[in-house]
Amino acid sequence: MSNAQLEIQLIASLVAIACAIPGTFLVLRKMAMISDAISHSILPGIVVGFFITQDLNSPLLILLAALTGVITVVLVEYIQKTGLVKEDTAIGLVFPVLFSIGVIMIAKNANDVHLDIDAVLLGELAFAPFDRLLISGIDVGPKSLWVIGVILLITIVLLLAFFKELKLSTFDKGLAASLGFSPVILHYGLMTVSSITTVGSFDAVGAILVVALMIAPAATAYLLTTDLKKMLVLSIIFGVVSAISGYWFAHWLDASISGSITTMLGLLFLIVYLFAPSKGVIAVLYREKQQRIEVSLLTFLLHLKNHDEDNERHVNHLNEHINWQKVRSKTVLDLALRNNMIVIDNKIVSLTPKGDMFTTQAIDYIITNEDTQIEDMKNDFFLFRG
Amino acid sequence: MDIQEYFSLVFTDYTLRTITLGTAILGAVTGMLGSFAVLRKQSLLGDAISHAALPGIAISFLITGAKDSNTLLLGALVSGLIGTFWIRGIITKTHLKSDTALGLILSLFFGFGMLLLTFIQKQPNANQAGLDKYLFGQAATLVESDVWMMAIVTGICLFVLLLFWKEFKILLFDKEYAKTLGFNTKAIDILITSFIVLAIVLGLQTVGVVLMSAMLLAPAAAARQWTNSLATMVFLAAIFGAFSGVFGTAISASQNNLSTGPVIVLVAAVFVLFSFIFSPSRGLLFKQIRFIKNRRDLELHKTLAFMYHIAESHDNISHPHEIKILNGFQGYTKGTLKKLVEKNYVTLKGSTWSLTHEGFKSALNLYNQLTKNDE
Repeated sequence: MSNAQLEIQLIASLVAIACAIPGTFLVLRKMAMISDAISHSILPGIVVGFFITQDLNSPLLILLAALTGVITVVLVEYIQKTGLVKEDTAIGLVFPVLFSIGVIMIAKNANDVHLDIDAVLLGELAFAPFDRLLISGIDVGPKSLWVIGVILLITIVLLLAFFKELKLSTFDKGLAASLGFSPVILHYGLMTVSSITTVGSFDAVGAILVVALMIAPAATAYLLTTDLKKMLVLSIIFGVVSAISGYWFAHWLDASISGSITTMLGLLFLIVYLFAPSKGVIAVLYREKQQRIEVSLLTFLLHLKNHDEDNERHVNHLNEHINWQKVRSKTVLDLALRNNMIVIDNKIVSLTPKGDMFTTQAIDYIITNEDTQIEDMKNDFFLFRG
Repeated sequence: MDIQEYFSLVFTDYTLRTITLGTAILGAVTGMLGSFAVLRKQSLLGDAISHAALPGIAISFLITGAKDSNTLLLGALVSGLIGTFWIRGIITKTHLKSDTALGLILSLFFGFGMLLLTFIQKQPNANQAGLDKYLFGQAATLVESDVWMMAIVTGICLFVLLLFWKEFKILLFDKEYAKTLGFNTKAIDILITSFIVLAIVLGLQTVGVVLMSAMLLAPAAAARQWTNSLATMVFLAAIFGAFSGVFGTAISASQNNLSTGPVIVLVAAVFVLFSFIFSPSRGLLFKQIRFIKNRRDLELHKTLAFMYHIAESHDNISHPHEIKILNGFQGYTKGTLKKLVEKNYVTLKGSTWSLTHEGFKSALNLYNQLTKNDE
């Protein structure tokens, strides 16, 4: 592994961490799409900054572009406040307009500006190590490493300093406001940090893929935990893992590094989305099926409880009476038998004392509108779940 | 070439005619379907879908090795639909919210698409150049067959829209009611979403992945300001969209170095801005005017009420009082006094005013008749 390769991976990892921190809060505050809007609308800021400084890594350019990001947020909120359109439409209107202005500015000055849209949108991490920062003639490392390093440092300091406030205002805005933490300052603070991170990362991973690094690790972590600290740590881990594995994948495929980092993030999300223990799709589908069967079981038991006549409780009649398909009634019947809820005597089904007790309690809960209690009750009664 | 020259050439020059017709049709169909997206609060879905279409383009190129725009767009359609249904899956099956789902699919699909595009660019296949036109769109690459394709799709959209108008409308405004009436809401939902995806995919070649969402939203958002009727809104949005297409093409053709996509978006944005400000019922300008007028009326009432309370304490209600005593009272200005005189509520004599019978009566009823609208 050469020095340049190491530096690229280091930059990618730092970008991933710097994005994951604000990203977690954006996802929790349901503002994920704002990061998309910011990432597009910083373009005019970058272009204007580039006209002035002629250097993509200059702090002035980063501040100018970040300002455009904050202006986007303000504009979106202003349009929303007029009530003329809904919030999502406001976002969808503002950023393409700003982005278009940026594209046109680049196109009109294409001759004097060494800046092309692809570079801004997609970035080229592979070239990052060649732009060195020289301090009084001594090479101290790639410029973008320093840029993102400083941004990350600021982000971490802010996170540690305002963790409590951020946490509170994310989960309970009203309480935070009543305790005296200004939601406005926190909101715009977060927006500023997100904008600066986006700008600082764009020449490494590109403006659009910053969005992936902000949202995907946080969303993936959110499927695994509901603890804010764990979520932060997990999203940082996911970000770094994808950054490094993405680099090697791109190396092997000889394709865009940022694209392959995003693909890794996508794969990670897909795996977690499918297999997460309690919130993954498979777990959810399994639980839904289980609950469907258990509701059927309850219906079946209620039917038995309501009817003393033998013909209503005859195995052959149940199919047509409750109108289930054969397979389903068999599953339900088996489940009831295994849990000792019923006995079948001479093809007549009847409730056992345990089944009777279960049904009575279940009815109680249903009548008193405490349906959720049934879940706990199932734990007491069931030997096997559906 | 300036704008006038453009309009004189548009009917004779093949390229200009094709591009103008193409962007106009595109604007119309996206405006039409965008109305539904906006009203269903799916505005950002368009953004997500257009980004999600990118890997489809790359994959269908990898499979066929040809750059036929129809097959590429078919790939875009498939991957756009996959993206859309994955978004739904995330929203319904997990606790992630819709904004997260949209942002996720948008960025992940786009990143994957970029990976494939850069991979293709490294391939020793001379045919690959020009795939990146789908990023920002190049209206100049439109040929007549593309325009025919757009026209046919627009025709189908229009037909389906008219056929299922009632269903779409009821789904839009009252989903629960539609369900109780026995409509298959899921099927209608899928139908309208698929058409939105189709419209987006159609525009990728012209406007590009990044700006496509604005084409969907802007005409609809502008149209929304002028009407409360769905039919009118769809119609207006189609018109706005078509005009944005034509004007955008005209402006970009008359200047050097101006790509069509961004210009169309900016023209559409001008429509939106104009509608936001000047729409008679919802616009900011008239809202502000109404606001000021209401405030003036209130001030007028205040002054009148103040006068009434003074006059009340006298036997003769028309007993003259000094104007000075009104000074310092918030509602009072020379303007309001003049207005009161015009309305014949007050008469002025030198530096004194006195309430007329009419003024006294209306002041008496000021707070009783809330529905009175003669002020």
